[in-house]
Amino acid sequence: MGERTRQVLPSVLSVLLALAVCWLTIALTRDADTATKAYLQMLWGGVGNWPAYLEGGNANSVLRPLGESAMKAALLTLTGLSVAVAFKVGLFNIGAQGQMIWGALAAALVGAHVSLPAVLHVPLALLAAAAAGAVWSSIAGLLKLKRGVHEVISTIMLNWVAVSLVDNWLVIGPLRAVAQGHQSSITGTAEILSTAQLPRLLGDSSRLNLGFPLALVAALAVWVWLGRTRSGYETRAVGLTPEAARAAGIPTLWRAGGAMALAGALAGLAGAVLVLGTEGRYPGTLGAPYGFDGIAIALIGNNHPLGAAVSAAVFGILRAGGTRMQLLGVHKSFPELIQGFALLFVAGRMVWLALLNRRRAQRAAVEVPRA
Amino acid sequence: MLEVLHSLLFSTLDAAPALVFAALGAMLSERAGVVSVGVEGMMRTGAFCAAVAALAMPTPLAVLVGMVAGAGIAAVHGFLSIRWRSDQVVSGMALNLVAMAGGTFLLESLFGPNGTPAITQLSRWNVPALAHVPLLGALVGHSAPTYLALTLPFAFHLLLSRTPLGLRLRAVGDKPHAVATLGLSVSGLRWAAVLGGGLMAGLGGAVLSTAVLDRFEQHTPAGLGFMALAAMVFGRWTPLGAFAAALFFAFGNALRIGLASSAPWLLELVPQGFLLALPYLLTLLVLGLQGQRGHAPAALGTPYEQESR
Amino acid sequence: MSLEDASLDIVPGELLAVVGENGAGKSSLMNVLYGLYHPDAGTFLMDGKPVRLKSPRDAIARGIGMVHQHFMLVPTLTVAENVVLGREPTKRGLLDLDRACDEVAATAKRFGFQLDPRARVDTLTVGSQQKVEIVKALHRGAQVLILDEPTAVLTPQESDELAQVMRGLVQQGRTVVLISHKLKEVLGVADRVAVMRRGRTVAEVRASETTVSALASLMVGEGSRGAALTGVPVTAGPSGSDTVAAGAGTASTRSDEGTAPSGPIVLDAKDLRAKGDNGRPALQGVSLTVHAGEIVGIAGVDGNGQRELAEVLTGLRALDGGEGTLLGGPLADLTPARAKARGVGHVPEDRLARAVVKAMSVEENVALGRHRQPPFARGPWVDFKGRRERTNQLLTTYDVRPPDPTMALQAMSGGNQQKVVVARELDADPKLLVVVQPTRGLDIGAVAQVHARLREAKARGAGVVMVSLDLEEVLALSDRVYVLYEGRVTGHFPRKDLDERELGRRMLGAESDHG
Repeated sequence: MGERTRQVLPSVLSVLLALAVCWLTIALTRDADTATKAYLQMLWGGVGNWPAYLEGGNANSVLRPLGESAMKAALLTLTGLSVAVAFKVGLFNIGAQGQMIWGALAAALVGAHVSLPAVLHVPLALLAAAAAGAVWSSIAGLLKLKRGVHEVISTIMLNWVAVSLVDNWLVIGPLRAVAQGHQSSITGTAEILSTAQLPRLLGDSSRLNLGFPLALVAALAVWVWLGRTRSGYETRAVGLTPEAARAAGIPTLWRAGGAMALAGALAGLAGAVLVLGTEGRYPGTLGAPYGFDGIAIALIGNNHPLGAAVSAAVFGILRAGGTRMQLLGVHKSFPELIQGFALLFVAGRMVWLALLNRRRAQRAAVEVPRA
Repeated sequence: MLEVLHSLLFSTLDAAPALVFAALGAMLSERAGVVSVGVEGMMRTGAFCAAVAALAMPTPLAVLVGMVAGAGIAAVHGFLSIRWRSDQVVSGMALNLVAMAGGTFLLESLFGPNGTPAITQLSRWNVPALAHVPLLGALVGHSAPTYLALTLPFAFHLLLSRTPLGLRLRAVGDKPHAVATLGLSVSGLRWAAVLGGGLMAGLGGAVLSTAVLDRFEQHTPAGLGFMALAAMVFGRWTPLGAFAAALFFAFGNALRIGLASSAPWLLELVPQGFLLALPYLLTLLVLGLQGQRGHAPAALGTPYEQESR
Repeated sequence: MSLEDASLDIVPGELLAVVGENGAGKSSLMNVLYGLYHPDAGTFLMDGKPVRLKSPRDAIARGIGMVHQHFMLVPTLTVAENVVLGREPTKRGLLDLDRACDEVAATAKRFGFQLDPRARVDTLTVGSQQKVEIVKALHRGAQVLILDEPTAVLTPQESDELAQVMRGLVQQGRTVVLISHKLKEVLGVADRVAVMRRGRTVAEVRASETTVSALASLMVGEGSRGAALTGVPVTAGPSGSDTVAAGAGTASTRSDEGTAPSGPIVLDAKDLRAKGDNGRPALQGVSLTVHAGEIVGIAGVDGNGQRELAEVLTGLRALDGGEGTLLGGPLADLTPARAKARGVGHVPEDRLARAVVKAMSVEENVALGRHRQPPFARGPWVDFKGRRERTNQLLTTYDVRPPDPTMALQAMSGGNQQKVVVARELDADPKLLVVVQPTRGLDIGAVAQVHARLREAKARGAGVVMVSLDLEEVLALSDRVYVLYEGRVTGHFPRKDLDERELGRRMLGAESDHG
């Protein structure tokens, strides 16, 4: 088994097994037929109903679902990258959720309260979001590097601090949108200006927007950075063996702190893509916990930037399609269950490798004639 | 003033048990060297299973079901992290996600989005003669978990510091290889701690749906598991420390809720969000001040491999 | 580590030594005897009956005790808690710590140890911790006591004391199995010696009927390879390292010439002070000079400041006081990056933790530390082609096997990993080379090669600071030797005045009494 296969195979098998287990769950609570139909609905909902389209259906029946999937995939890619980048330097960023919250808030504020032409407004809002996320993750980074506080604990705490401060204070208090006329019950921040909206790429029929290519570019950039640049190499060395990196003259604190800040920036960007691309403002609460999903996405993608993008695409499709399952009475959170199980099976990577090795050993034993 | 204090004390004691049990469970597991970020998922599972079981059996029995369910999740964690030496944080977070999504899925498909049907709550221990005595009266009128939560931390303290099992658990969390060379089973001890931790976390969850509420709600335990982790860290991985921290956090919550109803003007000055964030901010502050990994067991999070040392 | 066809007879009431090179399988065999590892085949007889040891529990039950090379003590527990762990005395179900302390004190007293049962283990000295380990085994009624490399961390004098302890145990009817590779020491104390080589037991001899050189030949298989073990300076690499010999040939200024150092001073340090990891002073006023073209040995018992000194010289540890000049710059503000820039090379003690990133490929490891400059980088980018070429070149020159630049370093043997490290550091043409325990855990062939490379560096004009716990190594290579004791220099010997006993005395802190 090649090294690359060893890296990829457990993830693929985990996702397949998760799909199978979850199919069984529906088959057992309902019946096999429903389960299969629900899966088909999920697929059509995710990639579009191609059979119907090819038989002369509306182009929107394909474009709309793809747009939804791409939108979700973009968010998952960015939070997945956030977790993966931190992993590369040996830190477990459980705080993507909190970083994303601040990023979303920053993007919403810049989007709503700064007047600029679109070419400047969008970048500025993105930058503000990235900076906000980076600041938040750097708190955990500093606590870790200066005080030795374990980042798992500190990022968990910081998530709750972010939720409490933003959702339970800022957006229902000082930053709440001023009610206009009949809209007296509005929650969340003010609507962003049109100049700050991420442009839609396929017109109004699909919510696919600039966020998706942005996320892909981010994944590629992280991949190139880690693999091909000096500082990326240094970052990986710090993550794998910090003492050796220090002895080699690598500024370990800067690299670790930098990676953690970058992780926060990526999660912050996810918040911006959500706000500038689809929500249009910081809603009362951020809704789906994309930050936590990022942990699953990164790990299923084996902490590889491109792997994270692929696993984000897969789960983006499943989750966009998940809403369609409701037609059959299956709750829309179902894809999250698939994702949870997939992560659980990935956590059992060692089990997979042991099973695969045993198979190989058996084959070898069969092939070698007995003496 | 006394009345305010009285009602604060009462609601603290009402709300604290879930946090105390979960914090003790997490501490038990971590003292033996196994990271316990999955405590939220164990609580959720315990809460769900207890609520469902209570539809069919007496509530006290249902609480036991919830405990076993928590231990079931812990068993998966043990299988992955002890048997297969997987990353303990990954395994724990995976279980959190599964419990989160699985709970929602099962709730929706079995009962609908508004939670399980109401169940009989655990009965409260009322002493009418005492109920109106200031402060002392706040100690009565609670259900059994409250009193358990007030005594169990001392039992855990005794267990860890004064029993052979406790000595071994502490040793296995600090230097598993030393334990192995004495002919004791590292994985056996860790399994015991992880399963025990699961029982406690499951109990914490079960208490939420059988004593604090009368059903399983969609968001249960709404981050209480993570707050229990904070309490454990805040309490420096000791039973009494975790107990004190859990009580303190529960008191903070009671104060916040109390203020919202009795003194809304105060919340104008100190926003709710700050009070909600306070336990976590304090934990961060304490960790930042005491530095290092606080008092975490030395081998925490490190899978045991016989041939490495 | 593997064992093949190893046999051993242990006779009650004797002191049996098991000797062999590093990696010969001594520790593996002992871990089998102690039930930690399980043999694929073979039998184990006790008192003539076959026995299966499933775990240390079985071994302990049958009266086997083991003192591991790396102590198996829980640092946060007390002496008594460590000793009774697993068989704790109880009173009404609760731990009876008073009784535990009494019992431990009694056991310690019976065998003549001074130990405070209530002291926390992490406050004890290494020597005392070893005593705790021995008491731990005796407390469990060990009749057979296995000691794995017990003197590796002790001074010669402490070793002598341990030898008396071992003899005392034998006189009391216990059996002692001593694992060691220090032949002289073994012959001084053992009744019988078993020799292991490549996982096999190849000989058993009575200690009174053999000599160091005879044992050394048995250990390595043929006479010629025994040289390094017996303290005879090695001047050329063994077979398979012709390329080394070519480099070393010019370098073989014989170490025993004893000429006074004449090259320019590369390091001049005065009154260096630094704290150890535990925050206690580790260096308390160390002064030393190093000239270009000489090897300066730093001798001392483990934990007397040598490691910290090496870290100060490579910028890894901040100075607390004192001053010095290192390659034209001040010592005070040294960082690893600055040290590298000035031309300091470093072969650290703990290779896997300090010198390499084991999960990375060989070529990535060759680049480590020089990855910002050509041929390893071009601007901000990694130069894949230049890196590959240079790596291939070094792998050939240094005879690294297999010569595969893309292989993960961790897949290589320890000796080859060390060759990669030495190759990388020497390739940078250092002006000051700091090496710590450069040959620990290597087999004889690799040891000789590393030694030859150090001499080569010296011949090229580098100043070499070599920290080693192995006195034989220090004696074989150094032009001058400083002895460190508790963070102070307690002796400074030019080559011609070197004397092992005197070094040993200084290592224990004795000041000079004659000159």
